[in-house]
Amino acid sequence: MKRAYLNELLEKRIVILDGATGTELQRRGMPKGVCPEQWVIKHPNVLAEIQNEYIKAGSDILCTCTFGGNRVKLEEYGLGERVIEINRELAGLSKKAAAASNCFVAGDLAPTGNFIEPFGNMPFEKAVDVFKEQVQGMLAGGVDLFLIETMIDIQEARAALLAVKESTDLPVLVSMTFGNDGRTLTNSDPVTVLLILQGLGADAVGVNCSTGPRDMIEIISLMKPYARVPLLAKPNAGLPRLINGVTKFEMEAEEYGAYAKDFVRAGVNLLGGCCGTSPPYIESIKRNIEGCKPIGKCAKPYSALTSSRKTVFVGFNSPVAIIGERINPTGKKQLGEELKQGKFSEVRRLASEQVENGAELLDVNVGMPGIDEKETMVEVVKLLSNIVETPLCLDSSSPEVLEAALRIYPGKALINSISAEKTKLEKLLPLAKKYGAMFILLPLNDEGVPEEAEKRYNIIKYILASAAEYGISQNDALVDGLVMTVSSNQQAALQTLQAIEWCAKLGCATTIGLSNVSFGLPQRDFINTAFLAMAVGKGLCTVIANPSSEMLINIKMACDVLTLRDKNSLKYIGRFTGNNTVQPKRDERKNPLKPVEKIYNCVLVGDKEEVVSFLKEAINEGVKPKDIVDIYLIPAITKVGELYDEKKYFLPQLIQSAETVKTAFDYLQPYISQDKTGSVKTSVSIVLATVKGDIHDIGKNIVGLMLRNYGFDVIDLGKDVRAEDIIAKGKETGASIIGLSALMTTTMVEMKNIIQLAKDKGLNFKFMIGGAVVNDKYAVEIGADGYAKDAYEAVKLAKKLSFLK
Amino acid sequence: MRDKIKLHYIEHIPSVPKREMILIRLGYSKSSTVLDRKNEELLEYGIREGSLLCRPKGVFCRLKIIERNIKLVKLENNIELASRNLSTMLENCSEIILMCSTVGREVTERISYEVTNGNASLGLIIDSVASQKADAGLDWMIGFVNKMLRKEGKIITPKRYSPGYGDLDLNNQKIMYNVLQLAKLDIELTEKYMLIPEKSVTAIAGIKEKSFT
Repeated sequence: MKRAYLNELLEKRIVILDGATGTELQRRGMPKGVCPEQWVIKHPNVLAEIQNEYIKAGSDILCTCTFGGNRVKLEEYGLGERVIEINRELAGLSKKAAAASNCFVAGDLAPTGNFIEPFGNMPFEKAVDVFKEQVQGMLAGGVDLFLIETMIDIQEARAALLAVKESTDLPVLVSMTFGNDGRTLTNSDPVTVLLILQGLGADAVGVNCSTGPRDMIEIISLMKPYARVPLLAKPNAGLPRLINGVTKFEMEAEEYGAYAKDFVRAGVNLLGGCCGTSPPYIESIKRNIEGCKPIGKCAKPYSALTSSRKTVFVGFNSPVAIIGERINPTGKKQLGEELKQGKFSEVRRLASEQVENGAELLDVNVGMPGIDEKETMVEVVKLLSNIVETPLCLDSSSPEVLEAALRIYPGKALINSISAEKTKLEKLLPLAKKYGAMFILLPLNDEGVPEEAEKRYNIIKYILASAAEYGISQNDALVDGLVMTVSSNQQAALQTLQAIEWCAKLGCATTIGLSNVSFGLPQRDFINTAFLAMAVGKGLCTVIANPSSEMLINIKMACDVLTLRDKNSLKYIGRFTGNNTVQPKRDERKNPLKPVEKIYNCVLVGDKEEVVSFLKEAINEGVKPKDIVDIYLIPAITKVGELYDEKKYFLPQLIQSAETVKTAFDYLQPYISQDKTGSVKTSVSIVLATVKGDIHDIGKNIVGLMLRNYGFDVIDLGKDVRAEDIIAKGKETGASIIGLSALMTTTMVEMKNIIQLAKDKGLNFKFMIGGAVVNDKYAVEIGADGYAKDAYEAVKLAKKLSFLK
Repeated sequence: MRDKIKLHYIEHIPSVPKREMILIRLGYSKSSTVLDRKNEELLEYGIREGSLLCRPKGVFCRLKIIERNIKLVKLENNIELASRNLSTMLENCSEIILMCSTVGREVTERISYEVTNGNASLGLIIDSVASQKADAGLDWMIGFVNKMLRKEGKIITPKRYSPGYGDLDLNNQKIMYNVLQLAKLDIELTEKYMLIPEKSVTAIAGIKEKSFT
């Protein structure tokens, strides 16, 4: 089937697809649990009967019975080696059924059931190969076009679409499944799905399965304003329900068909049925759309980029989009080092921070000496595709790197950049077309960067004309105003502004790399921000910048208000009304606190950084160290304990106060040793351990920390400690208490063994226990002296067991 | 007939842990705990750091229930889970879902570092984020599978069960580990049936026809 013929047909009338095959096969005798593809080959008459009924009902296109005909699915039945043969035969059966009619046959491709990287673990290229193999079989069987359907993940839909496009020039329709939240299983919204798939060259995009017709009309309505390709819908006959042990669909044919006109009004061009439908449903559609004409394409020009889960529109009516520039190793030592080691923590951090600060798009550049740029770029793209929803701007001077990144990226990316340099233009424009990417148009050529705006226009026009030859619309270009530094040529900024203004008149969206303008000048933020405001005034649409500059973001948002890009100033108001919390006033009492009172307060608020300076002051003023401990530190930490008990403090506050006391004790220890009148330590030793076989120790560590800060001498043996070692250490150190921790039912029993071992050796330790699976009752049961539910309780229990107040 | 268990690996679970659950783990009480600016900043920092350090991954599979009696549940591939409570929970279920969620090793290393290097309060906050993120991973998977099941007219039981919980012995962790092939997620199983990295959780839930809900 020629693409032009399909398009002509779709302009004239609504094309009717067939209905369900799977549920019809079951209804006509296919047992559950068998491989449908194999069963149909053995029972060709059943398929012929179904398909003939669909033809009579009015279907223009039949789908081959190859829904599970890919290698992954067939392998489940031990048929993985027969993919081509099975698909060829099944395509042949449908061709035979259609032979006496005007019906076309679409090769049906559906999910493998695996999740594809970066979301899942199946390599993307493997998925492409799986579909290519199936396509080969169907081509051999003579299909007229392809239908990729019931896709739940955009990346798998991309893999299947690329497989078809790289195998044949036949038309290909792609349809995904959306849940009742209006999103695919992996969270893509309808507009994002449409933009990605039409960008990749799908001849029609749409929705099938999952919901009944009612919800599906909404999906089509959302897609229509942006659809540059025809739309298709194949609803289920409602949702399945189990009635008297039999699965039934909730909607009958008449009711189902009654939605057909609404689909046409919403903008659908191809209509058929999915699970639960049958030839009468298709007949009902046919009857209801009698005389209906498709409403035609109505998408206005727009420029948009997507990740797999979010679309960002750029242009004169959208807020100026910030392209975060920070993921670039140039001048960032830590990022460079990590990339060399194949680590990506810094990439995660930079991405997360930029998005939090307002970046709408993220530039990704990993070019640096000493790394495999292609491999690193692919890894970073996979990582970012998962952790941020923000669309990516793929930044490299290497066409090979860009192709690898574009191929794996499950969205409509922005290429940074394409200039008029001959070799780049020839390599990169086909890539932009193939992967449906937008690109930053860099107005320079093999002769370099023209200084005058006029010369830049000529290059821009040349690149746009070259792009048009590949079928790339001007809407998919983002012209770079080429910012040069004003410290070396003060005319430079004005030239850039002229170029932006000229592009705006042409209707072409623009961007600038902002910070270059201020290079070499002091207080660069002022120059950058002023230039941004001027550029927005001329029609700038996006800016490559560091979004951590608050001034920059504030001015950008103000510009959005003043240029009508922020409707009703909602975003601006939201930013500033959400941030108007009154700062607490400083405590400026007329009588400043004495150092000892400040020490008390330091413990109360957990200020371990300041406490030492107040201790110095107090000692210089002649306060006895013992008094500092007895009158201020101990009462303060006791007060903190009370606040924790009352839940006025939470655990981190308790710990911080305890750490402050420890800092104070450490500082005071030499003074107290000198005056011999007091002691910070209780002289009670406690051995702590997580029992043998247990590897959890954070709780035990916190208990140790708290006990130390209350003056206990703690010997922490760590985790996974043998009973013999615990008892031996207790004996060796003269400990009076042994604290045991266990977090699992399999390891708590070890506590009993330890206590028994001590008894056997005639050692009178006190035992305290703790951990998620133990309690008071268990403590009694195993002969322990007490159970503590948390670190503070452990301190109280240790005090009790050692007869301390 | 199929005999191979189909495992679904998810390389990144986009779960967002509930903030209130992170706070509850830290002993925070909405009605009485008061945080000053310093502690609020510490908390925010800890939550952000914790979230950045977690690498939430997961795996799940569906298994048919072959037999269920008062004491145990027999599943396809000769898998048996002995638990009265689990068996009760699986009433009216035709299948179960086994799942595991982990947040990786890096976050555990950081927690340990902070606790042993004078910043235990930050370590605790990160610990709470990591625990909650691992739990939220299971919640996310249940929501995800529920979306998949919708068109089959099926739904996952609201309750889920984990080895070591109630009367389902912790040694069942070995079954979970083997069936879900957790080594592929860089998870180890200790002799005492603990998972390493520590912030890894497994669970079992039932799948039933929607009409039974």
